[in-house]
Amino acid sequence: MAGPAIQLSVRNIHKAFASKGAEVRVLDGLSFDIYERDFVSIIGPSGCGKTTIFNIIAGLIEPDSGELIYRGEAVASLRGQVGYMMQKDLLFPWRTVLDNVLLGLEVRGVAREAAVKQAHRHLQAFGLAGFENAYPKTLSGGMRQRVALIRTLIMDPGILLLDEPFSALDYQTRLYLEGVLKQSVENFHKTVVLVTHDIDEAVALSKRVVVLTGRPARVKTVHDIDIAESSPVTARSDRRFAGYFRKLCGELDIQTEAQATPALEI
Amino acid sequence: MSVIAAGKAPQAAPRPVRRKRPLFNTAIGRAALQAAAVVLLFALWQTGVQLGWISDFLFGAPSGIYATFIRMMKSGELVIDTSYTVFEASLGFVIGTVAGSIAGLALWYSIFVARVVEPFIVAINSVPKIALAPIIILWFGTGLVSKVALAVSLTAIVALIAAYQAAKDADTDLQALLISMGATKHQIFSKAVVPSTIPPIIATFRINIGFGLVGAVVGEFISSQHGLGHLIYTASSFYDLNTVWVGLFVLMLLGFVLYYVIDVIERVLIPWKVSSASHQVQV
Repeated sequence: MAGPAIQLSVRNIHKAFASKGAEVRVLDGLSFDIYERDFVSIIGPSGCGKTTIFNIIAGLIEPDSGELIYRGEAVASLRGQVGYMMQKDLLFPWRTVLDNVLLGLEVRGVAREAAVKQAHRHLQAFGLAGFENAYPKTLSGGMRQRVALIRTLIMDPGILLLDEPFSALDYQTRLYLEGVLKQSVENFHKTVVLVTHDIDEAVALSKRVVVLTGRPARVKTVHDIDIAESSPVTARSDRRFAGYFRKLCGELDIQTEAQATPALEI
Repeated sequence: MSVIAAGKAPQAAPRPVRRKRPLFNTAIGRAALQAAAVVLLFALWQTGVQLGWISDFLFGAPSGIYATFIRMMKSGELVIDTSYTVFEASLGFVIGTVAGSIAGLALWYSIFVARVVEPFIVAINSVPKIALAPIIILWFGTGLVSKVALAVSLTAIVALIAAYQAAKDADTDLQALLISMGATKHQIFSKAVVPSTIPPIIATFRINIGFGLVGAVVGEFISSQHGLGHLIYTASSFYDLNTVWVGLFVLMLLGFVLYYVIDVIERVLIPWKVSSASHQVQV
């Protein structure tokens, strides 16, 4: 069968870091595909190199070998074409909310007047109208991450790279922002790659979940998530949710049965 | 009374919790305490001189200092000397701070150049710059320029080191974000590095305004016709202690005023920084 169009193909990426004289292999022939308008979550044991692959895609570090193919063309990186969002909101403290949102457009050299108009529309849509002149310090964590999301979306990036963007937030704010994200990704027809350690978040948001092995990272399996519900809250109450959740826990070798007794027999 | 007689402890009603606030811990109370301390010091000094416990000749006396101050104000010489010192110190401060900060920031551009010049910066910084004063007077003469040059030599290196360090410490995550957006090196410099160095650079203003005054006064000590340093130096060689004190108190006042001027500059330049006093932890 003819699959959906591939937007980004990560091919056989190797990356090692020197650490205290020894070489630590982080990525060992990592390959996966991202389709157009995909929503892929990458999960794996902590420290397995999830952030490293994002840094390679975004052009912050270079791979030792391997290639990136973007819409059929081999590229060095997607620098300038990705919207990178990290766990820290990375708002510039000396910029107001409006100026933070404008950052990417400034870098790109968009005329300020047009950019401001666009920013106001986005701020309105995300319920941040009236906060244009506030400094990040005065905002709540959820609001700050919303500003970061607008800053990312306003650049109209080809792919959103989200590196545990909500993990520092409390659960309610996180559910709310997951909803905002899902909604805006659908409205703006975006492709999203989400790195998370939260299986529950991966299942609730994604179309597909890529499971990585421990370091050095390789793709262990790719699961399609067939939950049509668009809201992260209703997705969590879908009857297939628990099944996916349990399966992914199994993939990550998380103990699903209580095993307290053997420890006592020592 | 009857309660005590019955041998029972009086049942204390739950008292409303009231945060005890020391009587003087208000803005006015603190100012009153500070003023009282100053008045007390001068009163003791004056009394000591009058009772003959303190030598008027070696220490001066508040009454004499006041009389000298009034006389010098009337003759206008105090104003002239003060304006010379203020001008030399401020000009040296501005030139030194601006030049030093620019040089320090520029080092961010090339790690190679920075590594090459780093030991030289350390070497220059480790020389007590005051020791250069005689040479600077030789080079720049006994006029105003040599005092400014001395103030520059003291302030520039402080600003340079602070700016370079601040540029090195600039948040790398913010820079990474800009790179992912496709920013050029110039854009990273102007949008992430420079703004983040402004608070540490302004923090050096407070140190450097003092160094500016040191440069001006030491220059005047060595050779000059005007300035508070000149005033203090010549008066002390005549054992005119009251005049020396006038010069010292004016210098103290100058440092005080300039410190608050910098406070205002700070609030204007970095409005995004909440003042540190407001979120200090109460221990």
